[in-house]
Amino acid sequence: MASNSQQAATGSPPKPWEQSGTSTGPTPFKPPSPGSTSDVVEASGTAKPGEIVSTNDMNTVVNRNSLGRPVPTRPWEQQNYGSTYGGYGSGLNYNSGFGSGMYGSSYGGGLYGNSMYRGGYGGLYGNSGLYGGGMYNGGGMYNGGFGGPMGGYGMGGTGPYGEQDPNNPFGAPSSPPGFWISLLRVMQGVVNFFGRISILIDQNTQALHMFMSALLQLFDRTGLLYGELARFVLRLLGIKTKPRKVNQMGPDGLPLPGPENRRGNQNYIEGPKAAPSGAAWDNVWGGENNSS
Amino acid sequence: MPIFKTPFNGYSVKFSPFYESRLAVGTAQNFGILGNGRLHVLDLSPTSPAITELIAFDTADGVYDVAWSESHDSVLVAAIADGSVKLYDTSLPPQSNPLRSLQEHAREVHGLDYNPTRRDSFLSASWDDSVKLWTLDRPTSIRTFREHAYCVYSVAWNPKHADVFASASGDCSVRIWDVREPGSTMIIPGHQHEILACDWNKYDDCLIATASVDKSIKVWDVRNYRVPVTVLNGHGYAVRKIKFSPHRRNLIVSCSYDMTVCLWDFMIEDALVGRYDHHTEFAVGVDMSVLVEGLMASTGWDEHVYVWQQGMDPRAA
Repeated sequence: MASNSQQAATGSPPKPWEQSGTSTGPTPFKPPSPGSTSDVVEASGTAKPGEIVSTNDMNTVVNRNSLGRPVPTRPWEQQNYGSTYGGYGSGLNYNSGFGSGMYGSSYGGGLYGNSMYRGGYGGLYGNSGLYGGGMYNGGGMYNGGFGGPMGGYGMGGTGPYGEQDPNNPFGAPSSPPGFWISLLRVMQGVVNFFGRISILIDQNTQALHMFMSALLQLFDRTGLLYGELARFVLRLLGIKTKPRKVNQMGPDGLPLPGPENRRGNQNYIEGPKAAPSGAAWDNVWGGENNSS
Repeated sequence: MPIFKTPFNGYSVKFSPFYESRLAVGTAQNFGILGNGRLHVLDLSPTSPAITELIAFDTADGVYDVAWSESHDSVLVAAIADGSVKLYDTSLPPQSNPLRSLQEHAREVHGLDYNPTRRDSFLSASWDDSVKLWTLDRPTSIRTFREHAYCVYSVAWNPKHADVFASASGDCSVRIWDVREPGSTMIIPGHQHEILACDWNKYDDCLIATASVDKSIKVWDVRNYRVPVTVLNGHGYAVRKIKFSPHRRNLIVSCSYDMTVCLWDFMIEDALVGRYDHHTEFAVGVDMSVLVEGLMASTGWDEHVYVWQQGMDPRAA
């Protein structure tokens, strides 16, 4: 193998098909270009900008798209701080929450806070972002009952734990809460707490009640189903409760076989008429019946 | 003939273009679905029917395909299931390998082919629907060919034209590309089902064979690709890999999920000239030696690598 290692400089040994030198006439391909592959590709101009780069392609995320070429930035990729600041309470604020403008919109409270729906100054202050309204008043369950009073107090401060949003462009930071304000806040916390407890208990009771009633209903229906099924199975087996009465009306107490069985009720009505056919049935059963 | 047992499920086998007794095998744990992979470089001993392992490289993900460098006798390229293409040098110890890890594909790399004429570049086909062109002197790909609508399973350079190659894809088409052109130069809607492999005839640069999930192999002439030159039926399940013989113009070898390796002469009436059923699981890798006429190798999910001379039983010791 040592003799072969000299080939490493020039490449692998010639292929058998290269030695044969056969020619198959015209081909649809352009004649090969001289030079190395990278030279050929670059000379042809097909190498895309951003693809012959020394940096790792993993980092150039922006240009990686299905088109294979850089495209202008999408509108939702632009972070427009101006509009999020100015767009307080406007629809613009809301829209920016979908794109990557999350950073900007959180300043205005569009993404986390409920200020947009409240409208007005107090709304924004009362529910400053995530900590204010979002945590307690956000859930649909508690919103109606407890979110309201809080707004009603018109507290100039922030939510229970919330700090004043430092980026809030509206006015100066509010003054530190006084004694009554803090007392009210404590009271609100207590009320909130018991409210949540009571709702939990209420919901649990309701759930249990519904569960039990559903269970009872299920048993009820199961009984009905069982009866229906039993009746069906019996019918499949050819055992009938009502027609049996008819058959018992037949001669000699024998069940009526054959097509007459289907006309059960008619037979019932015409029961007495069936009696004369009893003689014919005697023939069917042969002399046995006669002898008996 | 010699048999080698791999610890993982075999995926690909390739003969070295430099040494007649050397071959590389790519394997993947747990049928390539999940787990590690290993790249084996094997040596056939010239006297006794045995295969010895020269070196093995462990990878963190399955190895789906391997390709030997045509310019350096010890360098080989591996297609890894994590989307990377790794370069290995067998003359270096495992600690200094891989030489390079080219991480650009977003999904599994399923096929590789080293340019046999210009010998400085190779292609990788990936499940992220793209084909990438690489050279050894650059850390990133030179070009990305992104037209297929589904996974690209296989690529093959034209043996005569250094700039032309074909790619087989799961979107049921084969595309012919010229690296100097911005887009594909030809689209052959070859099969009704996914096309898993393609290869060029080594003696007629206009003939290309495709292997598909519809169990058939079709041979096409690129000058008139409306109808196939011939359709080879005989495999019981999807045909996984296909290879034209480097020595005989009309000979094709194929391996399939029906666990057989088949030899075809596509110019004669009864095209199926040989069938080897030595594998006990899916046969997914097959190759013919460029240096020794008639020497074949195959691997499969039964974790065996068989090397045998054409016409002999691969299982015969």
